[in-house]
Amino acid sequence: MDPDALAKAFVEHYYSTFDSNRANLGSLYQEPSMLTFEGLKIQGAQRIVSHLTSLPFQQCQHTFTTVDCQPSGPAGGMLVFVSGSLQLAGEQHALKFSQMFHLMPTPQGSFYVMNDIFRLNYA
Amino acid sequence: MEEQVELVGKAFVDHYYHLFDNNRLSLASLYQPTSMLTFEGQQIQGGDGIARKLSELPFDHCQHLITTIDSQPSSSPGGVLVFVSGNLQLAGEEHELKFSQMFHLIPTLLGSFFVQNDIFRLNYG
Repeated sequence: MDPDALAKAFVEHYYSTFDSNRANLGSLYQEPSMLTFEGLKIQGAQRIVSHLTSLPFQQCQHTFTTVDCQPSGPAGGMLVFVSGSLQLAGEQHALKFSQMFHLMPTPQGSFYVMNDIFRLNYA
Repeated sequence: MEEQVELVGKAFVDHYYHLFDNNRLSLASLYQPTSMLTFEGQQIQGGDGIARKLSELPFDHCQHLITTIDSQPSSSPGGVLVFVSGNLQLAGEEHELKFSQMFHLIPTLLGSFFVQNDIFRLNYG
């Protein structure tokens, strides 16, 4: 699969999982994974999912506007840079966000999120 | 280890945007032949091509004002991922542009870093 198609497929999978059942995101992270969420640093799949599932909203919808990707080096990693909108249920205006993922290949031929950095883009 | 990574990220960001805002051509020193830039969706490879693209952007003067810097160690030995958001003021323009940018920094043998991966996007309102 070409890298751009792979990046887009991953992003679609990530946000549809996030938007339908955040607890299922655990399978996309591993123990060394790192998330920086609005400046807060969290390490490890369990703690990351725990943080994401305890965010103060029930439902949300991510819509991504741009997806850029590049290979990160000889280990087969991929950097994915996303910008888009986040609509929270009950809120009138969508929030804008940017996010970067560093994906690493698994022995089974898929990817997990090694690095994840999320920022809201305030007006 | 984490604190170190934050210091590297901040020092790099200060240096990078200072060069960008004062002497874009000198940015070539921060890239190598394997470096990649994706600038508003356009892909460019190699320090020379990257510096050329940046120096040909259609404005003479600009100023980057950085709002957030987040850094994490990457899986490459000594590598650092840096995620930046901020504003870009172009000379003569009334309103600032908002942008996000990510860098993947790889250590050089001389104890500094070069930019292996660089992705830049404007954030439209």
